[in-house]
Amino acid sequence: MDVSKDTTESAAMTESSPDPQANPQTGSGFAGPSMAVAGSAGQGSVKRNRGEGTVELMGLNAYYGSTHAVRGVDLGFAADKVTAIIGPSGCGKSTMVRCINRMHEEIDGARAEGQVLLDGLDLYDSRIDIVAVRRAVGMVFQKPNPFPTMSVFDNAVSGLRLTGVSRGELDDRGREALVAAGLWEEVKDRLKAPGVGLSGGQQQRLCIARALAVEPEVLLMDEPCSALDPVATLKIEELIGELKQRVTIVIVTHNMQQAARVADTTVFMLDGELVEVGPTEKLFTTPDDDRTEQYVTGKFG
Amino acid sequence: MVTETRTQYQEELERLEASALDGLNLVSSALQRTLEAVEHQDVELAQIVVADDDRIDGRYLEVHQSLITLLATQSPVATDLRLISALLHVLKSVERMGDQCVNICKVIPLTGNEPPADREMVALILGMGKQTRALIGQAKRAFAERDVEMARDLVRQDDFVDDLNRECFRLALDLGDDADQREWAMTMLLAARAIERIADNAVDIGEQVAFVVTGLFREFEDASHPTT
Repeated sequence: MDVSKDTTESAAMTESSPDPQANPQTGSGFAGPSMAVAGSAGQGSVKRNRGEGTVELMGLNAYYGSTHAVRGVDLGFAADKVTAIIGPSGCGKSTMVRCINRMHEEIDGARAEGQVLLDGLDLYDSRIDIVAVRRAVGMVFQKPNPFPTMSVFDNAVSGLRLTGVSRGELDDRGREALVAAGLWEEVKDRLKAPGVGLSGGQQQRLCIARALAVEPEVLLMDEPCSALDPVATLKIEELIGELKQRVTIVIVTHNMQQAARVADTTVFMLDGELVEVGPTEKLFTTPDDDRTEQYVTGKFG
Repeated sequence: MVTETRTQYQEELERLEASALDGLNLVSSALQRTLEAVEHQDVELAQIVVADDDRIDGRYLEVHQSLITLLATQSPVATDLRLISALLHVLKSVERMGDQCVNICKVIPLTGNEPPADREMVALILGMGKQTRALIGQAKRAFAERDVEMARDLVRQDDFVDDLNRECFRLALDLGDDADQREWAMTMLLAARAIERIADNAVDIGEQVAFVVTGLFREFEDASHPTT
């Protein structure tokens, strides 16, 4: 995928959230064209193959005004793997993840420093088209946020529709996205019904379908199951296991058992710093750092 | 923002560890009585040991159930998970050690009221028992203090028990042709073997100490591939 030359608002609209929670301070989604500062066509362009999607954070710092929320994080996310970020509230895990698709900077007074490399391409390079960044790096939020006025199908293809794909292709890719999100069988007979009429778990999978439709390389999930019941949660977790074949997944979760169940790698953060990264099994059986031990065993939180 | 949590769970885990390790005290007492029963051919005391094994079994069941409940309700991980796994092993060892005492006590009546006992062999068995009780105490201390070196030392202590056990066999062979005495000696070999197994169980507990501390399980000595 080329993240440097598309200057449409499509991806921004796809990934922006009608849910104020998703963007609490601006409340208005993304800034649109003014943020899409692509250089001339082709400049900074890097063609990428499907199946890639390695993310690397190098010296990442994030601030809210004078508050230093993420402190010098160096961290890699392997392609086609699930990485879980755990840590107590306020440790910077959501902030760090929101730096990966440059959502952090949308908040007033917020800024990020350092590098976020997607397959070697610095997403913070001034020539990078921020809209394309958000198409390459999809996001699913805590609360399901389908567009309230759109049908199930229109929700699924809302991002695609603005990229100029043909009607026929739209149908195919919409269906494919719904299949990939494990939702097709449940909604195929009511594609024209309102998206918000689905159950909470179905709405969240609809949001995942919407994010998948534009074929992102990376899918960020910020506590995607915290508003769901246990059965809907398990469906999302199974889906995550299937989706990692096609997209790199980064999941922020407060539910440590969820991290243990779904993640290949788990990252523990505390006070904005990365404390420990390791294979999930190792982190939950024999963590190296005493602070990790204290946190995963629930001795503080 | 960071606060201490799960104090009830931690207290429960500590209580269960103490209760499981106290099972070793029960075993040590049972072994002491067993040795007295052997030394004095005390059939009644032997029966008490057999009956009292219900306490050890009860301890096993009670703590085992509580640990399973913790696993089901508290999702323990890391050191807590290793500790619970180790405690389940410790409990199993405690239960087996108790059963070995019962095995010894059940054969005591078989030798009759005034068996043709060989003093030297009785002394060897009592020596094995004393050494094994020391192992049980050391295993308990090593676990409570998470002392891997103390746990490893159990292997060395166990070697003395094994030596005494072999000595018992040698004595039994040298006892001569008297049928009654040979029968008595056979029974005593069963007792010696049971004590030797109790000592092995103490070493097993030591291996669990190393697992709790390091996260790696390795047998201190591999009986199927001995180094010496």
